[in-house]
Amino acid sequence: MKDVSYSEDDSNLLVVILDINPFAWARLAKARQLSPSALLEQLLQQVLLFLNAHLALKHENRLALLASQAGKSTFLYPPPPFAHLNKPPQTRDANAYPRFKDADDLIAASLAALMQDTQGIEEAQHKGTSMIAGALSLALCYVQRILKVDDLHKIKPRILVLSVSPDSPLQYIPIMNSIFSAQKLAVPIDVCKLTQDEGVFLQQAAHISGGMYMTVDAMDEVLQVLLSIFLPDRYSRTFLSVPDQDQVDFRAACFCHKKIIDIGYVCSVCLSIFCAWSPVCSTCKTKFSFGKPTVVKRLPPASRPASRPASRPMTPLSKS
Amino acid sequence: MAESRIKADIYEYLETLPALTFDRLFHKPATCLAVFRLLPSLGKQIVMSILYNNKSVPSSELESWVIGSGSGKLKEALQHLISLHMITLKNNSYTLNANFKAHFQDALSGGGNDRSFGLPATTTDKHQVDVAFLDSYANRCWEVILHFMVGTQMSDLPTEGVMDLLVRSGLMMVVDRSSHRITNKGFQFLLQDVNTQVWAMLLQYLDTAESLHMDLVEVLHFIFQLGSLELGQNYSIDTLTQTQLQMLDDLGDLGIVYQRKKSSRRYYPTRLATTLTSGTTVLSTSAQDTGRNLLSAGAEIGDEEEKGFLVLETNYRVYAYTNSPLQIAVLNLFVDLKSRFPNMVSGVITRDSVRNALTNGITADQIITFIQAHAHPQMRKKTPLLPLTVIDQIRLWEMERNRIKSWDGFLYREFAQKDDVEATKRRAKELGGLLWAGGEKLVVAASSHASVKSFVTNRISRGREQEVPSQQAVKL
Repeated sequence: MKDVSYSEDDSNLLVVILDINPFAWARLAKARQLSPSALLEQLLQQVLLFLNAHLALKHENRLALLASQAGKSTFLYPPPPFAHLNKPPQTRDANAYPRFKDADDLIAASLAALMQDTQGIEEAQHKGTSMIAGALSLALCYVQRILKVDDLHKIKPRILVLSVSPDSPLQYIPIMNSIFSAQKLAVPIDVCKLTQDEGVFLQQAAHISGGMYMTVDAMDEVLQVLLSIFLPDRYSRTFLSVPDQDQVDFRAACFCHKKIIDIGYVCSVCLSIFCAWSPVCSTCKTKFSFGKPTVVKRLPPASRPASRPASRPMTPLSKS
Repeated sequence: MAESRIKADIYEYLETLPALTFDRLFHKPATCLAVFRLLPSLGKQIVMSILYNNKSVPSSELESWVIGSGSGKLKEALQHLISLHMITLKNNSYTLNANFKAHFQDALSGGGNDRSFGLPATTTDKHQVDVAFLDSYANRCWEVILHFMVGTQMSDLPTEGVMDLLVRSGLMMVVDRSSHRITNKGFQFLLQDVNTQVWAMLLQYLDTAESLHMDLVEVLHFIFQLGSLELGQNYSIDTLTQTQLQMLDDLGDLGIVYQRKKSSRRYYPTRLATTLTSGTTVLSTSAQDTGRNLLSAGAEIGDEEEKGFLVLETNYRVYAYTNSPLQIAVLNLFVDLKSRFPNMVSGVITRDSVRNALTNGITADQIITFIQAHAHPQMRKKTPLLPLTVIDQIRLWEMERNRIKSWDGFLYREFAQKDDVEATKRRAKELGGLLWAGGEKLVVAASSHASVKSFVTNRISRGREQEVPSQQAVKL
């Protein structure tokens, strides 16, 4: 990991990933007996205030907002080049700080455009899961681009994920790759989970990249949590007491059926994880010598292999 | 570096204002935002954490927010917050100033109807001007002032008001009726970056405003409002008060705002204005704009002169890629210039040239920061940025002037008792006023003379009474 020192006059780049997966929102709204749009609006108001607060902290602070939709992820702010947005007419308002208003208007416009565009959402392969992996990699690319033009190394990036969707084991590999890249870039990934269910991958993301993980259940408390926990920049976090993760779920998803597993097989060559024994590693195509692997007591009897040790065995993986 | 200095300056100024003024100041969201940005980062965090919280926060809870080195920072932050009247301490718990709270919330959400962020003109300007024009206008105005200070022979002079401001601020002094001379403070002023210079002028302007019976709150509102405006946008003067209209004239003279005619109903802020509260220098703001919108990066080329132009070599030679007479005049303050070419000047830093600057009241640190701030991009690739030998030598040259220091002091002697000498010495040391002590004599700085003197007289008169019984006790 990169060694980074923080100081008072750093500027901060905050990349927020907003999960707007309609399926998850519908579920969430149903539980609260509200309409999904009203619920989303309630969150959005608070998020916009939070983003303005971030911009208010310092003139140099930067902002990016990504939407993680079902099946795709897009930039809401700054708008991607060549985007044909129905730009709101430049109605300058003497009551609003131009930078806040710019950001708010653009976000509202691009979000509206995104909501209109429902193409591909219903495709079966996504099964209504949010494109967190895509959003994370977009965020990291953006961070990398900003860092590259910053010669003075004054910009300190961080990512905040506002998640409502459950984990999608399909995205396990890309998410883990993003997490490790974030770790290498020294970009902490903060996670604010707005539902009760635990996000295994996002917990790991926060843990590995040195970010914070927090579950907020009540929708009207989001702003207070965002402002008091997730607003402090990385310099302030060196002397503020921030919540720790006491328990992190380290489970992984298998590469073959994308299930989250406690115990599985690991290819001894490429470290791919499988939930069931197979003679050839599907990732690196290594042929395990045809002898069946060693016995592992805790395996179910159906898949219990014969006792002869293989020369290149598949190693059982157990939960650490 | 410059940023924190400016912040400290403004903060110091604001601190002197009475609580009542603050109550009125916090009526404008733009001002709330600007004052908020003056806070240290922990202070900002405290405000944000309690901004949407209706209860007051007990001080014990606040203390639990910080760990490690944070408690010192917490104290400092709270002190800042209290002296700017943003929070109040009552029954051991902190509450946010209600006025500030309401209007800062407005600032964040764009609510309320205070129109503090400047009202853009609704009609299009027949004489529309672009950013490049505004930049050159601001540059021209500001350079006229600086040229006037360095004494370049020029056709256009700053206006009466500006000259008056320069004299009041002690940057220039009047020699006789029509001629001015630059002061030591003025020399130091020249070496600072533009943003610091503008703020120094504005703070001075605030002082003047008070004596001209202008409403201070309105003046401050307008200054902070200017910082939130957008470059290249024209604003209507409809929201301005009478005081602020008068300011518009004065600021126009400084090149901070542009008005085509005095009677014009609209004004344009220049880059000097829009970078006021950002704290960044003029240069880095344009760099930031390019970063924000990479597409327009090519279109926005920073001002050539604002980029670094100085090359300093280990052999004390200075090459300055500039043809601006102003830059050359400033360099001439501490460099022995040898030759001049169409696009550059070269010279040597010598003992004499540096001593010359030092006698003008410029410090070695100011010279070094100046070179650092204007270092050529090629120099920036090196670490350390400037050759250490030259830096050290400049510092040494400064130190050799400081072999003798003088303080006003009082000599204390002929003490009756050795104890008295020791006690007085201790007392003077505690007060930080002991300049010298030797034998039974000591010299106390003039600043602490009064208290040491009263201590001595007290001790002698009281000591006499106590001495008697204690001596007796020994004898028994």
